[in-house]
Amino acid sequence: MSFPDRDVLHRWAPLLVLVALVCFFSLVNPNFMSLRNFARIGISATPPLMVAVGVTFIIIMGSIDLSMEGAVAVCAVVFAAIFIWLGGTLASWAWLALPACIVVGALYGLLNGLVHVKLRIPSFMASLSMGFVGIGLSLLMTGGDRIRVEDKIFRSLLTERYLGFPLMVHVALLVILIAWFIQSRTAIGRNFYAVGGGEELAHASGLDVKRVRVLGFMLAGVFYALGALFAVAQIGIAETATGYNFMFVSITSVVVGGTALWGGNGGVWNTLVGVLIVNVINNGMIVMGLPRYLQDGVLGLLVILAVVLSTDRKSLAFVK
Amino acid sequence: MTLEKLKKHFPWITLLTLVVFVGALDSNFLRPENLLQLAGDISTLFVMALGITFVIYLGGIDLSAQSVANMTTVLATLMLPIFGASTAVICVLIGALFGFVSGFVSTKLKVPSFIATLAVGGIALSVGQFASGQRALYMDAVLRDQSFSWLTGNIGGIPREMIIALVLLVGALILERRTTIGRAFKAIGAGELAAVASGLRVGRYKMAAFAISGAFAATAGLLFAVKLSGGSPEMANGFLLPAIVAVLVGGTPLTGGVGGVLNTLIGALIVAVIRTSMLYLEIPATAQQIFFGVVLIAAIAFTIDRGKVRTVK
Repeated sequence: MSFPDRDVLHRWAPLLVLVALVCFFSLVNPNFMSLRNFARIGISATPPLMVAVGVTFIIIMGSIDLSMEGAVAVCAVVFAAIFIWLGGTLASWAWLALPACIVVGALYGLLNGLVHVKLRIPSFMASLSMGFVGIGLSLLMTGGDRIRVEDKIFRSLLTERYLGFPLMVHVALLVILIAWFIQSRTAIGRNFYAVGGGEELAHASGLDVKRVRVLGFMLAGVFYALGALFAVAQIGIAETATGYNFMFVSITSVVVGGTALWGGNGGVWNTLVGVLIVNVINNGMIVMGLPRYLQDGVLGLLVILAVVLSTDRKSLAFVK
Repeated sequence: MTLEKLKKHFPWITLLTLVVFVGALDSNFLRPENLLQLAGDISTLFVMALGITFVIYLGGIDLSAQSVANMTTVLATLMLPIFGASTAVICVLIGALFGFVSGFVSTKLKVPSFIATLAVGGIALSVGQFASGQRALYMDAVLRDQSFSWLTGNIGGIPREMIIALVLLVGALILERRTTIGRAFKAIGAGELAAVASGLRVGRYKMAAFAISGAFAATAGLLFAVKLSGGSPEMANGFLLPAIVAVLVGGTPLTGGVGGVLNTLIGALIVAVIRTSMLYLEIPATAQQIFFGVVLIAAIAFTIDRGKVRTVK
């Protein structure tokens, strides 16, 4: 096979995998291919999609963020606490909890970025530590309890359906469009690619790399906050466990979608495909009657496979 | 004395200062029984940290240790009625196998170690959940005492767990200081490229380090299972953060090359003293995690060798 073909194949491989998976599960169980089941996949995919889109920007820069479990837990708990405190329904001043949650996410990301950039600690360790801090913080705030958010207007994100899909799926698509706009139509979006493509080159051409990095982490924090909001809307509960498993699922999704770990390529659409692949596999496994807990193992294999497949190409280029 | 020279002595000075500080808060703390209990309680965590030390020494990281330990508590409980005392050997071998897979994925397949170990940890978690049926399992008391009485109780007032941990420490120390493998680790930690250039089979040694880490993590899981007389896929949760903190606070930096298993002993004791002092100061357990998270950041920032990481990603 000639080289451009391989490149084209690489670009479309995640989408092909997604289509193949959908075909496979539909053949195994015809119930898979139904609007109701697709809506189910959409609901379960929405919160991880937000988190995965956030971390996509960071991975494009060649860094990594492992703090999402703590960040999501803190955002969810702060949101719920303010929401309940101000009246507990969107029809009152409690709507202020929404922007407050976003601000908390941004601050969390900002702190993350500052620890990474100012103390010059590798991002995986800086963010891992910050994630631990976040989990502890949310435990401290809740005392290990659950906060119930039962407001009908807020929960309409889940209960209200248009075209068969709940409102949250439509909102998520809108957010994806915004993320795509940031990625491809703004200076900061392009700077992410510049930093990921070659940090020294970006620095030499006058880019304030440190500032870009911190902004990237801050932007990611905003998306984690959105993920937290959807997660709370989905189950009506905010607790420390709200953040559980987001790290593994979101990073797997990004990598499976075709955004390489060393940065410089991929993007929001890749992540959308990656999140769908992961959620179709989860859903398909349930439809096929396989136990849920196999999920982590399958995701583990998947992430290794995806990284290996994308590494192959790079080392080939290097050898030639 | 320059800061660089002082850095080497920082871990034990910290430990001493903390002990004196907590002793001043409450003189009961310095009673030998109390200190002994403190050291006994940290044994399991210390064993896990010992293993991770080898990986960090080579400049990698092992985030799978906690999941491997979790899995081992389940497997040990399930295997005890079938294999008796040889359960211990099988568990350690399984742990080593998981570590080896992490090492293989990270060195041969060129996946960064934190992702490789995260993924392998996910697999270990699945195995633990699958094997246990997502329930907590209990060991039969008679069987446990038959096979593992050498792991529980005291000898002359010293907890057996602690003796096991010390034996493992001596073993790890010999491995580090007196064997070819140990010297190879030192060479790779000091400068991987130079080690490759001088003909060392770096990949193999790295895989060995991950396998050692897996074996120690499994040992920690086994100790824990025997101590609590059962297993569950969540039993060792909360071990990873303090174990990594112990390695880094002890003075083995994230970039590797200096420090070692003795440093981890000091690091683990620091963790133990901090934990105890928090009990005295009545700081809630949840706040400990926040504190250790911050300590981890500080320890990395202070010890990391910036000459080795040109661009901090």
